[in-house]
Amino acid sequence: MSVGTTPPTTAGTEPGRVATAAVAVPVGSRRWEFMYFALRNKKLVLGLGIEVVFVLAAIFGPLVAPYSAAKFVAQPNLHPSLKHLLGTTYFGEDVFSQVLFALRDSYLVGFLGAACAALIGLVIGFTAGWRGGVVDEVLQMFTNIVVMMPALVLLIVIGAYLKQHSAFFEGCFIGVTTWPWVARAVRAQTFTLRSRDFVDLSRMSGKRGPSIVIKDIAPNMASYLFLVFVLLFGSSMLIAVSYDFLGLGPTNSISLGDMMFNSQQWSALVLHVWWWFIPPGAVMTLMVAALLIANVGLDEVFNPKLREM
Amino acid sequence: MSLRVEDLRVAYRARRGEIRAVDGVTFSIADGEIMGLAGESGCGKSTLGNSLIFLEERMKHVGGEVYLDGKLLPIGDNRAMGQFRLREVSIIPQYAMSALNPTRKIGRIISDLLKSRGVRYASVLEELERRVALVGLPPGLLDKYSFELSGGMRQRATMVMSTVLNPSLLVADEVTSALDVSTQKAVAEMLTEFRDRQFVKSMIVITHDLSVLAQIADTIMVMYAGKLAEKADAATVIDEPLHPYTQLLLASLPEVGIRYDEAPLVGIPGRPPSLLNPPAGCRFRDRCPFAFDKCSQEPPFLELQPGHHVACWKAAQDVGQKAAKQVQGAAP
Repeated sequence: MSVGTTPPTTAGTEPGRVATAAVAVPVGSRRWEFMYFALRNKKLVLGLGIEVVFVLAAIFGPLVAPYSAAKFVAQPNLHPSLKHLLGTTYFGEDVFSQVLFALRDSYLVGFLGAACAALIGLVIGFTAGWRGGVVDEVLQMFTNIVVMMPALVLLIVIGAYLKQHSAFFEGCFIGVTTWPWVARAVRAQTFTLRSRDFVDLSRMSGKRGPSIVIKDIAPNMASYLFLVFVLLFGSSMLIAVSYDFLGLGPTNSISLGDMMFNSQQWSALVLHVWWWFIPPGAVMTLMVAALLIANVGLDEVFNPKLREM
Repeated sequence: MSLRVEDLRVAYRARRGEIRAVDGVTFSIADGEIMGLAGESGCGKSTLGNSLIFLEERMKHVGGEVYLDGKLLPIGDNRAMGQFRLREVSIIPQYAMSALNPTRKIGRIISDLLKSRGVRYASVLEELERRVALVGLPPGLLDKYSFELSGGMRQRATMVMSTVLNPSLLVADEVTSALDVSTQKAVAEMLTEFRDRQFVKSMIVITHDLSVLAQIADTIMVMYAGKLAEKADAATVIDEPLHPYTQLLLASLPEVGIRYDEAPLVGIPGRPPSLLNPPAGCRFRDRCPFAFDKCSQEPPFLELQPGHHVACWKAAQDVGQKAAKQVQGAAP
């Protein structure tokens, strides 16, 4: 994954190609250079395009949804039609409306999971990598303990004690159980960066640890951290779906995993009610796939070595 | 009296024991003095330079004191040293070319450093720009990233950065080593210029390149295996060195225009002793062509001639005999 974050310097050097490119680049402007490479990258544009559609659907979907998600609005198990774009469930709920409502939850859980995991992982990774020694040993041990913790069992146990839990809880839970690999990666990166010469000079000049970590070390892995966040986002959504599918999901709202859980519970497969479980599955697959494709594209944009002129 | 170092001992912690890289070093540097510190790799010259500003974790302050402008430098206490760094003592590190964070503009790097010292960037900006121009860097430098500069430019940028708060003492560690000869000259001249303009009061220039020191240094100090061998003003060390090590070091320099078959380059046979458990007595004894039985005792670092300190029994003997002859010659 990309570590070198040397900003682009090459766009102006090939005037012929720049001139023929679809996007005009004002020479000398670094931000526009980034946009130039970003917009030229098909993977990034494709992935982001799909993602933007879903995000818009998640934001405005519930406002324009034809029916309420939890109301029984029609005959059960209706085939997709113009009136019910994706048919109805065993209970006569509108599948299309349900998908629109469920998107929000999936994004919320994805974002929360990624944010929690990134925050914990960064703090622990930077601390362990920067301080080293005993602090590192202790934090590594803690990280290993969390890795060994069976998240699913823990969730079942916690679920047994909670009256109901929300998407917020689920997101935080996922974050708290998935941070270890972030911490490990950040720790390793910090170890290599802390011995760089410019870090050394900062220390010799009397800069304090936290300031060096934030201003000298973190920017040098900024692109990596960004990609980590995107990956966490996708994986959090996937983990949430698997929890939901097992019936461990939020109990006070609807999510894509819930829909699949319900369809499975009410024998949609046996009854050939394919419009109940395929749409949420397909939407989830598309959302995560688009994120991963955009991630590969971003990697190519950030990393000059992967860039095609 | 700008810098006074008394019996400084710095060691590296290793599993097998302490490696005494600087082992009882005493010297002083006057205001406005550029002192060259020479010696072969591993003789402790960089360790000495670094220990005046930053002790790494594996380095240990074993003993001795350092006074800068009459104030005791708490070199063993990294936290207490913080307030002296950049303001009182500063360093141009060995790797000055890669000492700039590639993700931040030069101006931002300097402003971050100043902020950590509690100095406002805006208050020194004008002077900073003047110095950037002085060292021949383009005016837009502060808005550039380090990778937009050439190696020599980066070196100069680092020099400006290290001296921005007019430190009392500047340690320049191998600043000319990675440069081509013409850039070397420019950087060397810049160092004297910085001194002449009083951006820095005094300077320690660490190098293995005696020809650079001959150009810029006022005094030269030669180190061998963690100890001082000789210190005198530059001309004396170059022209009439007393310590056998200095003599051999100078003899091993190539001369332009002399071919190998005319005069093969001589080196110094052997290698320096391990600093883990250094032998007693003179540490150069095993390689010294003049070694005699007295060398099994440690030679003191004595002022044999005015301003000329040497740690060598042979040199002390020679100087003593010469003085005796002069006395005899003058008597009748």
